[in-house]
Amino acid sequence: MKTSTIGYIIFLGALAVFPVIDDPRWITVVTTFCIYSVVALSVDIVLGRAGMFDMGHAIFFGLGAYITAILNAHFGLNVLIAIPLVIIIPALFAIIISSPIVHLRGDYLLVATVGFNIVFEQVLKNNLFGLTGGPNGIFGVDAYVFGFYLDEPLVVYYLAFALLILTLVIIRNLEASKAGRALHYVQEDPLASESIGINPRFYRVFAFALGAAIAGLAGFLFTIQYAAVSPEAFGFMTSVLFFAIVLVGGKASIPGILAGTFIMFVLPEIFREFATWRYFVFGFAMIFTMVMRPQGIFPAKYGKLPKYMTGDNHDTA
Amino acid sequence: MDILLQQIVNGLTIGSIYALVALGYTMVYGVLKLINFAHGDLVALSAYVGLVVYMQIAGTIPGAFAVIIMFLVTAMVIAVVGVILERLAYRPLRTAPRLSAVVSALGASMMIQNGIMLIWGPNIRIYPSDILPTTTWTIFGVTVTFVQVVMLVITIVLMAALTLFINYTKFGTAIRASAINQDAAKLMGINVNMVIVVIFILGSVLGAVGGLFIGMYYKSISFNLGWNYGLNAFIAAILGGIGNIPGSMVGGYLLGLFTALISGYVSSTWAEAFTFILLIVILIFRPTGILGERVAEKV
Repeated sequence: MKTSTIGYIIFLGALAVFPVIDDPRWITVVTTFCIYSVVALSVDIVLGRAGMFDMGHAIFFGLGAYITAILNAHFGLNVLIAIPLVIIIPALFAIIISSPIVHLRGDYLLVATVGFNIVFEQVLKNNLFGLTGGPNGIFGVDAYVFGFYLDEPLVVYYLAFALLILTLVIIRNLEASKAGRALHYVQEDPLASESIGINPRFYRVFAFALGAAIAGLAGFLFTIQYAAVSPEAFGFMTSVLFFAIVLVGGKASIPGILAGTFIMFVLPEIFREFATWRYFVFGFAMIFTMVMRPQGIFPAKYGKLPKYMTGDNHDTA
Repeated sequence: MDILLQQIVNGLTIGSIYALVALGYTMVYGVLKLINFAHGDLVALSAYVGLVVYMQIAGTIPGAFAVIIMFLVTAMVIAVVGVILERLAYRPLRTAPRLSAVVSALGASMMIQNGIMLIWGPNIRIYPSDILPTTTWTIFGVTVTFVQVVMLVITIVLMAALTLFINYTKFGTAIRASAINQDAAKLMGINVNMVIVVIFILGSVLGAVGGLFIGMYYKSISFNLGWNYGLNAFIAAILGGIGNIPGSMVGGYLLGLFTALISGYVSSTWAEAFTFILLIVILIFRPTGILGERVAEKV
């Protein structure tokens, strides 16, 4: 058995039996860790695997969360009805907004995605069509299904755990699939990939759509967990944090991204008394990590490829 | 008509701030190809440092001198911070993957922003309203304040000086050469490290002046104003063509006018959204900005 497989078994096994700790606060923290890990992994599909600078991913996370909250709180629909919608709508939305911009050079794409995220935040804050609830968001999501309360801490925990496993399976399959390899070639050299019959534009939009679908589903669980949504949670600072998690952890590296999420979202819970210093220390840690390990904490390994083939291609940026 | 003229005057004032800050982005981007996310936070830091300096010296020396000292000291402090930033956060990453430098810049931005919050607290700070004379003039029904005139004049003087420096001095030639090709510039005997340090000094000084203008014009500052102004100035830089110095100036004023007109005629709560929609439309149709050069793109 490969070391990485053993690592995953230990990690997932630990998460599976984690609730024996039976401390509601820690169960909430680890639930949040699972949900944010899923979002970070979905950002990584766009940023790490397709190589597109995406700093607006909170849009899709937010869409999933707001669709759930709007359907439930405004229209009184059962939250289960939202599940297909929180996958399909963010994916469609991603296709619509990414199609005109995926050809942009790295930094310009980054700024365009920031732009979309800020427009999204303003739409939420301005209470568009009276649906989004303005700056305060939407309260009172009722996750009562077939005699079950989905928002019980333990139920949410196992839902989030299942979603994390599902996401890991999707990503492992993506790595082994034609689409995953195509994404890798597109990132390395779009021109060469086109000459072997890969359509870079198609695969870039595909990466956005897949990332958005996963983030949307994570948004659904986020709403269930907190029974409320507010614009701040899906603002552009959230996107910046996810962007940083992927790069600090290591692009296209699952252990790296899980570690990045742990550092950004769980460590602050452990060191709560330093709350005001939190982002100051983060900022310092981001600079320090990048100077020490420019490829991230756990950079992805590419089998036995020679080093010059795995280096970051400066021109694609 | 009066409203239109008034909004144009306001737009030119905001545009001056955007143009000054945008120059810092554009010069760093021109040479390092790096979005210096911390630049906006340097601007915010400048507003706070300026306030502290002014409070220390106000009343002890005549008003005009106090303002001049406030500008000089703040500009020096921000220039030093800019150089330290370059040395510690960006220089070690010059040969690293480009995204690493972007993350380092984001980290620097968080550090400065939260450093400001830790030192001066999270609440809004008020600028004294009598730093400059509060004279106002009314011309054709348009109100123009003394602060606005000073801002416009100083901005134009600084931009003219920068243009002359870049175009007609030996060091300016070195900067332009480094922007085109750093390796070739090194072969020609140009000290590229020195060029980059000077660029950070120039950008920080212009940003510092922008930060003081924000304090004096809006009269209230908060620790997180950097992101807002930084992003707007960055849009201005892209609007004009990032890396292109006259482009950033034009972009700054265009964006200022656009923002003022949207706030005046459409809605101020949606102004930011309109700004970013403008940005996205420009990126789609003219990815290198209004005055930017067309570059051959792969795919």
